[in-house]
Amino acid sequence: MTGRSLTDRLLAVRTARSASPQPARPAERAEGLARWLGAQLAIGDVGRVVRVERTITLRTETAARLATLPPGCYFDTETTGLSTGAGTVIFLAAAARLQGRQLAVRQFLLPDYPDERALLRLVAAELGDAARIVTYNGRAFDLPLLASRLTVHGLWQDLSGLPARHDDLLPVARRLWRRPLGGARLAEIEAGVLGLRRASDCPSAEVPGRWFGYLRGGSPDLLADVLDHNAQDVASLALLEAQMVHLRDGGWRTASVLDHRGMAMELLRAGAVGEALAVLEQALEAADGSEAPAIRRLAARLLVAAGDTDRAEAVWRPSTRQASIDAAIAWIEVARIRERYCSDLPAALEAILSASRILDLAFALGRGGGMQAIGRVRLQVESRRRRLQRRVAAAERRRERHLGLRAGSRRARVPADRRPDQAGGSRYTNPGPPAARPASTATHRPSE
Amino acid sequence: MILNRPVSADEAIDTWLADPVLQPLIAAHHVVEPLPPRLAAWPQGTDPRLTGALAGRGIDAPYIHQAEAAAAVGAGRNVCVVTPTASGKSLCYNLPVLQAISQDPAARAMYLFPTKALAADQLEELRGIADAAELDLKAGTYDGDTPATVRSVVRSAGQVVITNPDMLHAAILPHHTKWFKLFENLRYVVIDELHTYRGLFGSHVANVVRRLRRICRHYGADPVFICASATIANPRELAERLLDAPVTLVDQNGAPRGRKHVLILNPPVLNARLGLRASSLLTAQGVAARLIRDGLQTIVFARSRTSVEVLTTYLRESLPSQPGQPSPIRGYRGGYLPNERREIERGLRAGRVRGVVTTNALELGIDIGGLDAAISVGYPGTIACTWQQMGRAGRRGTTSLAVLVTSSAPIDQFLATHPGYFFDRTPEHGLVNPDNLHLLLDHLKASAFELPVPDHERFGIEETGTLLDVLEEDGFLRRAADDRYYWSSENFPASAFSLRSAAQENVVIIDTTGDRARVIGEVDLFAAPMLVHEQAIYLHEGAQFHVDRLDWAERKAYVSRVDVDYYTDADQGVTLKVLDCSDEADDGDGGLRARGEVMVAWHATLFKKIKFHTHENVGWGPIHLPEQQMHTAACWLVIPEPAAAAFDRDTLDGALIGLARLAREAAPLLLMCDSRDLGVLAQAQAPFTGRPTLYLYDSVPGGVGLAERLFELGPELIRAAHQLVRDCACEEGCPSCVGPAAEVGARGKRAAEQLLAAMSVA
Repeated sequence: MTGRSLTDRLLAVRTARSASPQPARPAERAEGLARWLGAQLAIGDVGRVVRVERTITLRTETAARLATLPPGCYFDTETTGLSTGAGTVIFLAAAARLQGRQLAVRQFLLPDYPDERALLRLVAAELGDAARIVTYNGRAFDLPLLASRLTVHGLWQDLSGLPARHDDLLPVARRLWRRPLGGARLAEIEAGVLGLRRASDCPSAEVPGRWFGYLRGGSPDLLADVLDHNAQDVASLALLEAQMVHLRDGGWRTASVLDHRGMAMELLRAGAVGEALAVLEQALEAADGSEAPAIRRLAARLLVAAGDTDRAEAVWRPSTRQASIDAAIAWIEVARIRERYCSDLPAALEAILSASRILDLAFALGRGGGMQAIGRVRLQVESRRRRLQRRVAAAERRRERHLGLRAGSRRARVPADRRPDQAGGSRYTNPGPPAARPASTATHRPSE
Repeated sequence: MILNRPVSADEAIDTWLADPVLQPLIAAHHVVEPLPPRLAAWPQGTDPRLTGALAGRGIDAPYIHQAEAAAAVGAGRNVCVVTPTASGKSLCYNLPVLQAISQDPAARAMYLFPTKALAADQLEELRGIADAAELDLKAGTYDGDTPATVRSVVRSAGQVVITNPDMLHAAILPHHTKWFKLFENLRYVVIDELHTYRGLFGSHVANVVRRLRRICRHYGADPVFICASATIANPRELAERLLDAPVTLVDQNGAPRGRKHVLILNPPVLNARLGLRASSLLTAQGVAARLIRDGLQTIVFARSRTSVEVLTTYLRESLPSQPGQPSPIRGYRGGYLPNERREIERGLRAGRVRGVVTTNALELGIDIGGLDAAISVGYPGTIACTWQQMGRAGRRGTTSLAVLVTSSAPIDQFLATHPGYFFDRTPEHGLVNPDNLHLLLDHLKASAFELPVPDHERFGIEETGTLLDVLEEDGFLRRAADDRYYWSSENFPASAFSLRSAAQENVVIIDTTGDRARVIGEVDLFAAPMLVHEQAIYLHEGAQFHVDRLDWAERKAYVSRVDVDYYTDADQGVTLKVLDCSDEADDGDGGLRARGEVMVAWHATLFKKIKFHTHENVGWGPIHLPEQQMHTAACWLVIPEPAAAAFDRDTLDGALIGLARLAREAAPLLLMCDSRDLGVLAQAQAPFTGRPTLYLYDSVPGGVGLAERLFELGPELIRAAHQLVRDCACEEGCPSCVGPAAEVGARGKRAAEQLLAAMSVA
């Protein structure tokens, strides 16, 4: 509210209202815009949309990499706002597909609001032809928004005709590059991974304002940059996906910017456990002290999942020899593997006792960090040691009782695993030889 | 706590009524006679599973109002049910809704309640019936407390969505595409506690309903609205204003009631010359303590949070609990945390809590069962509210008691001397002004965001097109060649305004007494400078907390437990600037009436420490907090030149203070609003008019038409204020008319009376 009163303003507007010029006819508008931008006009039965087509020639290997995937439609939208509420409109959409060595980019630009229905139908038809949609953050934004617009217009058939498969590259990009790049916005990935630098780009924050400016009588030039920006976005999507294919197919060996743990997770998702381990091995060679434990932990996890507990333990063994906190941590991990996955309680206890000795040694030699760090690990070691000793003793008792039971002792009628000192232990009972387990004990997997 | 000899409620009440000490206090005593239930048959075709489930809860047949409502709803008519508290109102809507869902699982209903607490309460009741009927009902609340994971389930599968108007406004309507399953199949919209939707809030809600109906039309639905209201004078008018559609009224109550004594108690005069009366708080405390001791479960309604706390403390002192036992006296108000509230509600239903002191937080339909006695400390502001508070007392088969203890406020004294006004007149009208231009503009923006607005569409007023053009000029909308207005801004308009007050934030109160700091409550931003300024004593559940530090930027108040013999009370200063004068009327003799837009600014200036029990002032301190501002509508009265010239400046100042007070108190008699909805300010030499001027302004930003109406009613307002001061028996002014002589000066009362007389003539 400004100094002028609302009533005054209403009066002024009321007088001006009769005299206001009629807006240009939609057909003229769309034609003018298309002519200016050197683009075609797509005339549907429900409105006119400016269609801009361009092709981008890809490098041979890029095209070849993409050709290994099911044909996709690279999709990105420019909108009038960031909320996915009913008032946000898609005014520009780009859809790109691979055609031989070319990337064919097709853009649909809305000349004005009334033509939105036509734009939506064209976009839906374009996407409907593809086997899958590829986006960047499309799961949270572009596709819900497209669905919202189709719903507003009651275009249910078009909505149900969209491909079921949707590959959002954002979560993959986060895993592969967020740590090394400090972020995973498309612009950051372009600069840091694809080595692209946009010559003159229109910042995303300015995009809605450009379209509003054009609508209010501004020059179509305002939109030229937005069109380029939008086309560049889908082109980058294709390059990015090609890069992901390349990395998965062994390109990780030579990649300079890469989060190896994320890469291993990606390979694991693709079912390539061996490759995933190879990534981690390479990473371990290059890793500095602070990263190494996290890499080892992931490698051990993969091996355990693959059922290879020996190799999982071997991942930790090399670092158990130093006199440092790290060595103690390594021994803890070894103990964990032995306890949880090998059900070898005495061996696990042995490992934890080693951890305890290493800590004493590190402390005596004044190595491996401050009192607090040592103290924290010490607490862990001690609680594990106590638990393991309890469990070893319990197992011992059970064996004795088992023998006694065979001899017909009535003592066994008291369920031993209900005794307080074993209540905790029974949760961690592992599948072992049936003779070593009381029949009533539940065998929950620990949920660590 | 020592209870007296156990007697029946009837006996206890009769003994109390006969007490000679009480007699001089009774200003009025009415007896509401008991009524038997009036029953009807279930509507034809009612699902036997439903009737079976209700029979299992002791309901063998509906009351006539329940059957009538169901029949009207069945015929596709919008309904407004008006019956007293605890008359089985919710069955009036639960029955048609459950019936519809049992026949067609795709059918949907939306329930609107003004508060989250009520929504939770009603969900339980609805689920209870559905479970007993073995209906697979998918019902859920959708509000700020709903977890994100549950939200998507409620959106797509919820057959009954229970929410509040704020949520509908800011979260549901702007995202209607995610709710299309609900809107496509929306059969019923339930609006309970209709009478709470008045003034600013009601005017907003009427616009939210307009938006809701637009969205329903878009998805091809045309829901029937079922409203329920407390007794007000114009329930149908209010419902029709809110819905913008014809409404069938159902007001024949078929529920039974027990005998009820309704009393108005006026505390005794202590000093006739000063017009000083005993405190209504202390009088109410005496009554409550006596009734609780006699075994009557009692609810006491106080006007402010502070008086809730003071009264809780007093009652606990006079009714000490057994060592080691929790006190059976509890406080209950807005700042308490939800768990604490639920616990008190359960205690009331179970009878563990024998006395509860509350603000109007317990006035609405939260289920606490019927109590033996209800005491209102001070007139709650409207007759409808008073009856609703009194409706908390009442059990089937026994006598109950409802007491209004009047304060020394003018309107209270008016009621004590003219009880017919209370007993014989219909309660006041609920007023809304859905066509307030400020609100229309805000809701038109939100509407255009939801769906484009065609040029010919009418949103509230004929001149919708003009408003659309204003919004286009401001860059919010674009008129395209298809003659529709499209939202063309990056912003999300529904988040730009709130339906309630201008203050969206709360100040969190953190107790630092123990080892770990904990949050004990909240106060809203507008009230914070008055309640939790530094060195204030904040009262919570009868305990005292000293405000050690108020972090205004972070909206946090740090407090610690103390035990002192005083509480604090803050003063605020108000300034006003006229922005625009839109209308003027000459009342002759230099007297003038005008209206327009003003900017009001206020800030807390200082606080006083007031000793418990004696209420003497034992110290003070300054408050340093930022000023708060509001743009609103006002009307002002310029005092006629000759009348003002008769007094010296000091006398005139005093008279104006008195005049302001009188005008503010008289306004609710004309406008049927709360006196708190209006602000008043008198200036002996107003910068804008250059003369003695009395300003009355809407105390909500933008205004809801009160000041506008007062401009038209100016002469009547002056007449009413004149009667108030003329008929008051005091000599030099008292709290019941112009205020005490200490505030208005020795000649203040006479001067105010003369000014009003001159203005009445003019």
